[in-house]
Amino acid sequence: MKLLVCIKQVPDLESRFKPDATGTWFSETDLAFRMNEYDEYAVEQAVRLREQLGDSCELTVLSIGPDRVVEAIKKALAMGCDNAAHIQDNAASSKDPWQIAATIAAYAKDKGFDIIFTGMQSQDRGSAQVGVTVAELLGIACTTTIVGFACDSGTITAKRELEGGIKGVVKLKTPALVTCQLGLNVPRYPTLPNIMKAKKKEIIAIPVGDLLKEEALAITASFHPPAKKGGGIVLEGDVADLVEKVIAILKDKTAVLR
Amino acid sequence: MEATRQIYWNMGHGVVIPMYILAFAAFGVLAWGFWQRLPIWRQGKALDRFDHYDERVKRMISEVFGQAKVFRVTEGGVFHSIFFWSFLILFAGTMLVMFQADFFTPVLKVNLLSGEFYKAFSLVLDIAGILAIVMLAGLFIRRFVTRPDGLEIVRDDYIVLQLLFAILITGFLIEGARMAATELQQNPALARFSPGGLLAGQLFTTLTPGTLLVTHKILWWLHFVLVLGFFCAVPYTKLRHILTTSANAFLAPFEAKGSIATINMEDDTVEQFGTATISDLSWKDIFDADACTSCKRCQERCPAYTTDKPLSPMKLIKQIGELAEGNPTGSLSETISQDAIWACTTCRACQDICPANIEHVNKILEMRRNLTLMEGAFPGDEVKTAVNNIEVNGNPFGLAFAARGDWAEGLQISVMEQDSDVDILYFVGCYASFDKRNQAIARNFITICNAAGVKVGILGKEEKCCGEPVRKLGNEYLYQMTAAENIELIKTYNVRKIVTTCPHCFNTLARDYKDLGLDIPVEHYTTYINTLLENNKLNLTPETFRYTYHDSCYLGRYMDIIEQPRSILTRAGGSITEMDKSGYDSFCCSAGGGRIIAEEKLGSKISEARIKMATDTGAPLLVSNCPFCMTMFEDGIKTGGAEDVLRVRDLAEIVAERIVA
Repeated sequence: MKLLVCIKQVPDLESRFKPDATGTWFSETDLAFRMNEYDEYAVEQAVRLREQLGDSCELTVLSIGPDRVVEAIKKALAMGCDNAAHIQDNAASSKDPWQIAATIAAYAKDKGFDIIFTGMQSQDRGSAQVGVTVAELLGIACTTTIVGFACDSGTITAKRELEGGIKGVVKLKTPALVTCQLGLNVPRYPTLPNIMKAKKKEIIAIPVGDLLKEEALAITASFHPPAKKGGGIVLEGDVADLVEKVIAILKDKTAVLR
Repeated sequence: MEATRQIYWNMGHGVVIPMYILAFAAFGVLAWGFWQRLPIWRQGKALDRFDHYDERVKRMISEVFGQAKVFRVTEGGVFHSIFFWSFLILFAGTMLVMFQADFFTPVLKVNLLSGEFYKAFSLVLDIAGILAIVMLAGLFIRRFVTRPDGLEIVRDDYIVLQLLFAILITGFLIEGARMAATELQQNPALARFSPGGLLAGQLFTTLTPGTLLVTHKILWWLHFVLVLGFFCAVPYTKLRHILTTSANAFLAPFEAKGSIATINMEDDTVEQFGTATISDLSWKDIFDADACTSCKRCQERCPAYTTDKPLSPMKLIKQIGELAEGNPTGSLSETISQDAIWACTTCRACQDICPANIEHVNKILEMRRNLTLMEGAFPGDEVKTAVNNIEVNGNPFGLAFAARGDWAEGLQISVMEQDSDVDILYFVGCYASFDKRNQAIARNFITICNAAGVKVGILGKEEKCCGEPVRKLGNEYLYQMTAAENIELIKTYNVRKIVTTCPHCFNTLARDYKDLGLDIPVEHYTTYINTLLENNKLNLTPETFRYTYHDSCYLGRYMDIIEQPRSILTRAGGSITEMDKSGYDSFCCSAGGGRIIAEEKLGSKISEARIKMATDTGAPLLVSNCPFCMTMFEDGIKTGGAEDVLRVRDLAEIVAERIVA
C-alpha cells in the first residue's frame, strides 16, 4: 500500500504578523514556523496506518514551499514517514488553493497512492480547499474533517465532525483522500533514534515549475490588519490614581457622568 | 606490682593457631561474600572513579573517620558516630593486643602493654566499651521504641544489634572473669583502670577458682566466635555498609555538583539513550544500592515524598538494587513507576544529605532521558505543549520569540545586535523576559546596574531558553539544540561576563554550557551585586525590614551561594528570621527539574508546604532569588491562603528600592 501525507509549514500563530512589501501577504520577518496543526494529525494517522500495515507499506510526505519547509518535512520523517518530496517554491504563499492542489495532484497522479492524508485546513490561509480539490483532480473518493479513522482491506471507515456537535460515519473504498481534524489523535513526539534515522531518509527536491501548469483562480488583493474598532484598557497602579483614571475615562468616553 | 596483664591468660598459647585459622576463615567468608557481589555491580557500564586517587583517599579517610556527614543530622547521627569511634578504639586495642602477643613479645622481646601505658590503655578501652554499649542502647531504643517516621525494621536490624551487644557484653565478661581471678584481690590499684571489668568481675567473685577458669574459657571462645560471626555477617547484612559506604566516600564524583553527562549526539552507533534497564546504569549506580544504609534522611527531605508523591529517593535506590540482583532485564521505569520518576524536582536535598554519597539525581535524570528520548513520553500534555513551544519560539509559554526583549523597552540597556560593547551580558531567561511578575526582577536588576554604572547588554529576540527545564526532563536533544544556538550567538559578540537573574540559567550557562564550548565567566546576580556593594560601586540606604529568606536549590545546594544574598539583605537593612529548613537544608519550591512547566497533579502542593514554613517564622516578607521560586510562591501564597500575612519579593526588588541616588 502506498500512502501520501501532505503538510504545510505555517507561521506560529503567536507570532507578530505584519504585511509584506507587496501588501498581499504577511512579511516573514520575526516569524517562527512550525508544522500546520491539522497536518500533524494527518501525519500521525498516516504513520499509525503505516505501522499497522508494516513493511508492505510506504509512506511519503510532501510539502510545497521554500527551503525552510524542510524542517517540517524532517519532523514528519522523524515521526515515521519513509521518504519525502519537497516541491521547491519560494513563492508558495502567492499561490492560490487551486494551484497548490494542482501541484500536488500533478505529483501524485502517476504514483498510485492508495490513501492521501491532508490537514483539514491550514492555520494561516485556512481555505480548507486543497485536500478536496486534490481528490477531485485525481478523481478519487474523499471525506473531510475526520476525527476517527480505521482502514481494513481497502475500506476506510471514517468518523466525521459535522456541525452542531453531530458526528457522521462514512465508508470509502481506496484510493481515497481524507482531511484530518483536531480530535483525530494525539501526535507523537519523535524519539531520538527516529530523529537520527530521519536524517538519513531521502528527501526528493522537485522544482514547482515541473509540476504546476495552472494559473491562479483567485488573487489576493490586499493583506492588512482590520481597522481598530475597540479594545480593552488595563489600568495599573495606586488605587487613588486608578479612581482618577476611571473617572476621566468615564467622562471622556461615556455619557454616564454628564 | 607491675601494671600489665598476661595475654592468653588461662587460654595458653595453644589457642593461637586455631584462632588464626578460624579468623582467616572468617575473613575468607567476608571476602567471598563481596566477591559474589562483583558480578552484580559489573552489570553496569564502565565509569572511571579512580582518577584523583590521592584526593579520593584523603576524602575517604576524612569522611569515614571524621563521621562529619553522619554527625550532620544529630538524631541518630550522634549515636552512630560515638559508637563508631568507640568501636574503632576497641578494634584498634584488640589489634594492639594481637601485635603484642604475636609480634612484639616473641620477635622484639618488648612489652608495650605495661606500666603507665597499660593503665591508659585499659582505661581508654573500658571507657570505649562502655560508651559503645550506651550508644548501642540508644540506637536500639531509636530503632525499636521511639522509631522516627520512615525508619524501617528489617531482619538485619535484629541480627546486627544483637550481635554487637553480645560482642561488647561478652568482652566485658571475659575481662571481669580474668580480673576476678588475677586482679581484683591481687592488684586492686590496677583494677581501677578497668572500670567495666571491675564491675563485671563482681559477678564472678563467688565462683570457685576451677569454675571461674572454665567459665572464662567458655566466655573467651564465645566472644571469639561472636567476633568471627561479625566478620562473616558483614557482606550479608547491613554491616556491609562498613565497607561499601566507606568505599563510596572514595568513589563519589569529583565533577562540579550538578554535572550531567553530555550525550554525544553525533555518534550514530548509539542505540539506547538514557537508562531503561540495569545494564544502562554505571557500575557505581548499582554499587550505590549496596552503600545505602536505609537511614531515610533522603526520604524525609524529599519535597516530593513529603507532599505525598510516589517518589522516595531511598526506595528508588533499593529498587535498583533489587532489580540488579533479581531481575536485571526488568524495566526500571515500570518498577519505579513513571510518576515517581517525573515527580523529582532535582532539588538535590537527598544527595546533599546522604551520608553514603549516593547519587540519586543523575539516576533519575538518566531514567527520564530514556522515557523522553526513547519513548517520547512526557509527564503531561501541558509539558508536551511547553516543549513544543520551546522548539518553535524558544520559550515555554509559546509567546512570539520576537517579543522576548520587549520588557526592556525604555530602559537604559543595549541590545547586543546593535551595540555589543558592554560590561556584562545579562542573560535574561524565559521567565524574566515574558512573565509579568518576573519582568520586575529584570527591570530592577537593570536599575541596579545603571546605578552602579555598569553597561548592560541583552540578546533580546536572539536569546532562547537556556534549555534547563527540558534537559532536566530528559530531552537532551532539544537542550543541546537550543544551547548550541545560544552559544554560537554569544560567541559572535565579544562578551566578557555573563550575569543571570535565574539560578537555572546560571547553572546551565556556567557549568553545562562548558561541555558544549562556552567558556565565559558566568555569575548569578546575587554575587554580582554583592561584589558591587563590597567595592562601593553601589551604595544602599538601609531601610529596616523583617524577612525570611528562601535558598533556591540551584543557588544554595548546587552553587554554594548561601551567605552573599543574606549579606546583601543585611546591608539593605533587613533582619532575618530563618526558616527551619534553610541553607543546604533548604526545601524546594517545586519548580526544579523541569517541573516549572508541569502541573503538580499528585499529592499536596510543595509550594504551599514551603509557604507554610515561611509564615511559621512570623516574618511578613519572603525574599527569593529565582524566577521559578517567585512564580511558585506567588501561587502558593494565593492557594495556601497566606495573602494577608506574607508577601514574596525578589532580592533585586529590595536592593533597587534602597539605592543611594
